[in-house]
Parts: sequence; structure tokens; C-alpha cells
Amino acid sequence: MKKLILSVLVALTVVATVFAGGASESQSASSQDSNTLTVWAWDPNFNIAALRAAEALYQQDHPDFSLNIVEYVYNDIQTMLITAAEAGNLSTLPDIFLMQDYQFHTYANRYPEVFTSLNDSGIDFSQFTAGKTADSNVNGNQYGVPFDNSTTIFAIRKDIVEEAGFTVEDFMDITWDQFIEQARVVKEKTGHPMITISGGSEIIIEILQSAGSGSPVVNGELNIADNEVLYKAFEIYKTMYDEGILVDYTDWNEYIASMNNGVTGGVIQGCWILASIEAAADQSGLWRIVNIPRLGDVEGATNYANIGGSSWVVSGNANTELAIDFLRSTFASSTELYDQVLAENSVIASYLPAADSELYGSEVEFYGGQSVYADIVEFAGNVPAIDYGNWYNEIRDALNVALTNIVQNGADIRSEMQAAEDTARFNIGL
Amino acid sequence: MSRKGKLTLERKLSLTGWAFLLPATLLILIFSFYPMVQAILLSLKAGRGAQAHYALTNFTRLLQDQTFRQCLFNTIFYFIVQVPIMLILALVLAVLLNNPRLKGKAIFRTMIFLPCATSLVSYSMIFQSLFSTNGFINVLLTGLGLEPVRWLEQAWPARIVIVIALIWRWTGYNMVFYLAGLQNIESSVYEAATIDGASPVQQFFKITVPLLKPTILLTAIMSTAGTLQLFDESMNLTSGGPGKATMTIAHYIFETSFVMTPNFNYSAAMSVFILVSVAILSAIQMKIGDKRD
Repeated sequence: MKKLILSVLVALTVVATVFAGGASESQSASSQDSNTLTVWAWDPNFNIAALRAAEALYQQDHPDFSLNIVEYVYNDIQTMLITAAEAGNLSTLPDIFLMQDYQFHTYANRYPEVFTSLNDSGIDFSQFTAGKTADSNVNGNQYGVPFDNSTTIFAIRKDIVEEAGFTVEDFMDITWDQFIEQARVVKEKTGHPMITISGGSEIIIEILQSAGSGSPVVNGELNIADNEVLYKAFEIYKTMYDEGILVDYTDWNEYIASMNNGVTGGVIQGCWILASIEAAADQSGLWRIVNIPRLGDVEGATNYANIGGSSWVVSGNANTELAIDFLRSTFASSTELYDQVLAENSVIASYLPAADSELYGSEVEFYGGQSVYADIVEFAGNVPAIDYGNWYNEIRDALNVALTNIVQNGADIRSEMQAAEDTARFNIGL
Repeated sequence: MSRKGKLTLERKLSLTGWAFLLPATLLILIFSFYPMVQAILLSLKAGRGAQAHYALTNFTRLLQDQTFRQCLFNTIFYFIVQVPIMLILALVLAVLLNNPRLKGKAIFRTMIFLPCATSLVSYSMIFQSLFSTNGFINVLLTGLGLEPVRWLEQAWPARIVIVIALIWRWTGYNMVFYLAGLQNIESSVYEAATIDGASPVQQFFKITVPLLKPTILLTAIMSTAGTLQLFDESMNLTSGGPGKATMTIAHYIFETSFVMTPNFNYSAAMSVFILVSVAILSAIQMKIGDKRD
């Protein structure tokens, strides 16, 4: 009998040991200490660098304050938010996290408890670019403090277009038809494509946004199958792809290399791509920034869009007072901070007063003396607001499949648009 | 008295046995079976939180979902093409390596097994860069005077890349099972066969394959389960693309849970579908493979 008792005891000990690990970790991930904030963010050279600068700034008045920055790629942040919300246990969440702008509507509608409304935070949101502020405003609640400026730019290699007999100005304020005509000449005379991209549907999304309110993809209802703007966007893409004006790289590193190695005559992307372009120091003076082409025959179409920005969120498990005060004193009021992160990390602000500083107006040598930062903030002011409702990912995914079929398999654009609408509708009708 | 004593001894022995089984059993029950039962319950529910109710909508939805159909096709394609090639290759390699006259056996064995020791994510990334537009494979093809292929941007080449990657990664793993099985076959059997004039090919088909049957069955069932649950390659090597041309069911389950607007009920329903498919396929394989008596 002794042996039996012993073996049962051993068994229970083993089981208990296995579970012991879990218990000690069940504490809150957000900081218990009243002077520390836990923050989740990605990209050490961009977002996290800005956090460090903000921490140093806040420490000037609050010497005991510190940030506990945990680096996660965005997909992991997303997974952890969903897991916490579905489990109904928010204790794993940090005080502040960074979130992609396009996902606020999806998550704030489904899991409002994950967010803290900033309506009464004392932050003046009219000081941020309107498009971005709208992205994180859900059901009348402001859930995000806009951070980086994500205006779409068209970066151009001056030497390559000049070799083909054009000037940089020839690519400013033009339509897609004009662009394709000129890009053909560039391709013919120099052999360079005018655009490289990675993962095609981004440019479709940007064209849709630049077209303004004329024919939105979501208009209370899904409007994909009969959307003339979308049809034109697909047509433009297919023409450019077939003629080699545009090259798509599946691999992100190859995409960046296409700029740094002088393969491409230009690139259309959110302005955060500048840091990657500037990595090729030997190309200093060769690049210029213009706005993107517009749809010529669509009323109200503009030369402006944005893509891939993010905003700060105070979580539903935060030391709310401290978190809000930190954001209000740094990202929502300090032009000094924005000057520093622009100079050190090429972070362009969506905080409008930042653009008035001397640094923003300065001429940048890499772009041949063009005052690119001021130009980009000016572009940002013209970006039309676009609303995908709660279904950005579903729509983007359906458009991506359609684009692949159109470009790779030569499928008919109309029938692919119908299929995309059916797929998106199916995925939305949960 | 004596009767009672005997019973106690018997019971004692059996209880000791159960006590040893207890920890593992408990852990499996709590961490494997309990979540499985919960997943099945989840798959039978519709709605979230307080509005959740039992309904079969997730399974009827499964039948109408075009994306699911595409992912199912991809998964079955990997299964039908990759599993036989891999198992045959593993068997041939195992037989070659089992040759007592082969020199440097340990080196070859290590080299073939090494891919299994690499992380799924890192090998996927390496294959991605090998097969990228300006990658090593295309450089090689151009060097040989052939046309480069846009591997990861077209449906069929992308699927083939996944199959090649899977074969590279898993052949060594299965080979080790065969090697272990071959060690258990008496060399005297082969000696006798050689004396009777059986050729190596005859020996392979008449001795090796029949005697290895239990091992072959084991690897076939493991590969079936593994392929139907395939995730890492689809996620990391091709991101399911181009379009949805290489996405597996497991990857689609991840998408509906964590990328799209979360729908865990539907994801659970798809998981149940995989579970049932694996069970059915394994049962068929056991029926065909296991012909003892």
C-alpha cells in the first residue's frame, strides 16, 4: 500500500509541477507599478525608437517614469488581442499598444472592451490629419492617437526619367493614362520599369482611395461587382503589368533591392518607404518625390492616398490616467519630439503643428534639395477619407485573389469582380 | 484470509500500473481531449457570447465556401502527390543506406536526416528566397540556358515548390523509421535468398517490403495526418498565394480566426472536418495495410 500511495503522490507532483508554471504568469501584463507603462509595438528603428524618444521627453517632468516596451510583430499583437478578447480576460493586455489604422473598425466594433475611448482625454484630435483621425474613430469614440504619416508618395529616379527625355515635373499631377504613356517611353528608352511593388492589391486599394467618394467599395452595401473605379484600377494594373511598366516582387527583400540597386525608375508606396530608399546612400541626389497619378475620367478623383499607418491605443486594461497623460504630453503635443524622430528615424508626423517647424521645411540633400517633408504633409492634407466599414481585410483579400487571377491567369475582369463580390459577401455574412 | 491477500496483491499491482499511467493520462485528457471536445461543441454553435446557440450553420457554410473548396483541393493535391513520392524515396534511401558495404554511412544518414532538424519557419524562408524571381534556382536555370520561372507567382509552379519543400524536409524523417525497421530484418533471410538466386530487386519486393509493412503503414498514417494539417509551408513559403492557390485548410483556419474578422465557430467546424478526414483516411489505410491473418 505504501508503494501505491507513493506512486500516486509522485503522479500528483508531476501533474502539479506541470501546472505550476501557469500560476505565476497569470498576473497582469500591464504594469502594476504606478510609474511604468507597458507598451506593445513593432519595428525598433521606427515605432520603438519614437517610443524611446517619448519616454525620455516624459522623464524630464516625471523622473521616476519608465516604459516597458515589448517588441511584437503586428500579427502577434493582433492574435493576442483576439485571444484576450475572446477569452474575456483582458489582464494579459499592456497599457498601450500600437495598431494598424485599417483595423480599428473591425476590432472596435467587435471587441470595444479592448479599447479605452479618448473622447474625454483632453487631447485635441483636430490637430491631426483628418483622414487618419477618422480611421480610429469608431461609433463616435476616438480610440487611437494618430502616429505616423502614411501618405502615399511616388518616389522617382530623376536621372532615369531624364535619360528618357522627361523631367520630374512631367510626372507631377498627371493622370494614369498620361503616366502609362510616359512610362512606356521610359521602358523603351532605358529598360527600367517605372513602378515596382510587393503584393499587388495595395496599389488597387490606393487607386480606390484616390478616386474619392465617387464610387466607394463599401456604400452601406458592398459595391464591388459593378464598381467602375475598381474596373479601371484593374485595367490600369493589367496594362502596366503586361507591358513591364510595373514589376511585382513576392519577396519583400527583392522589392527593396529593386529600389536600392537601381532596377526601378520609381516606386509608389506609403511615405514610410523613404527610410528604405535612403538606405542606398550612393543614390543621394537622384530621387525626387511627386504625388501619385489620378484617374482622369472619374469625377472628384485626386492624386492622393495613404497606406499602412498606425495609431496608439490605450487598452482596456491600462493604468488609464498615466497612459493618457503620457500620450497627451508626448505624441499629442510635442513638436520637439516629432522633430527629433524625423531627424533620427525618418518618422513623418500626422500631427499637423509638427509640420510648421523649421526642420520640416528644410531642404533634404538626398532628394536634391527638395523639401520633401513639407511636401508630404501637404499631400496628406488632400487625401480623401475612405471607409471600408468593418470589412477591410475581407475586401482586400477578395481583391487580391481577383487581381492574381486577372494578371496571372488572364481572367476576365468583369467576372473576377463578380467573384470578388461573392467571396467578400460570403465572408462577411457570418 | 489467503483469498483476501491474493486479491490485494493483484489489485496492488494493477493499481500501481494505473498510478504510473495517471500523470500522462491526465495530461492528455486535460490538454488534448478536453480542448477537442470543446472545439467540437464550439463548431456546433453560432453567434458569439450571450447570443451563442446550437446550430449546424457552420457545417452548411462549409459546403458553400468557395475558398474552403480551393484549400481542400490544394491540401488533397499535396497529399496525393507528395506522400507517395516521399515515402518511396525514403524507402529507397533507407535500403541503400542499410547496405553493409556502403562507406561513410553515418555521414549520408546525418545529411539526409538533417533537414528534419531545421525549423519549419526558417527552411520555408530559405526556400522562398531560393525560388524567388531572382533567386538561386532561377540563376541556375538561366545558367543552364533555360527560361527562368516565376515560381511563387503562378499557381502550379507555387504548388510544386511546396511539394519539393515538403519532400526535402520530411524524407529523412521517414527514412529513419525505415532504417530502424530494416535493422530488425535478419540478414540471414537475405543470405538465404541470395543463395536461392533471388536478385536484389526480387529481394526488395519479396522480402524488404512485406517485412517492413507495419513501418510503412505507420509512416503512411503519420504523413497523412501531417499533410492534412499542413500549415507552416503554406503560411511562410507562399503566404497561401498567388491568390489562394497554395493555401491549405489549416492555413485557412488560421485566417478565419486571426486575420479576417474572427469567426472561431467556423474555424472549429473546419478543424472537425480535418479530424474526421484524418480518421477516415487512417482507417482505410489500416484496413488495406494490415493484413495479418
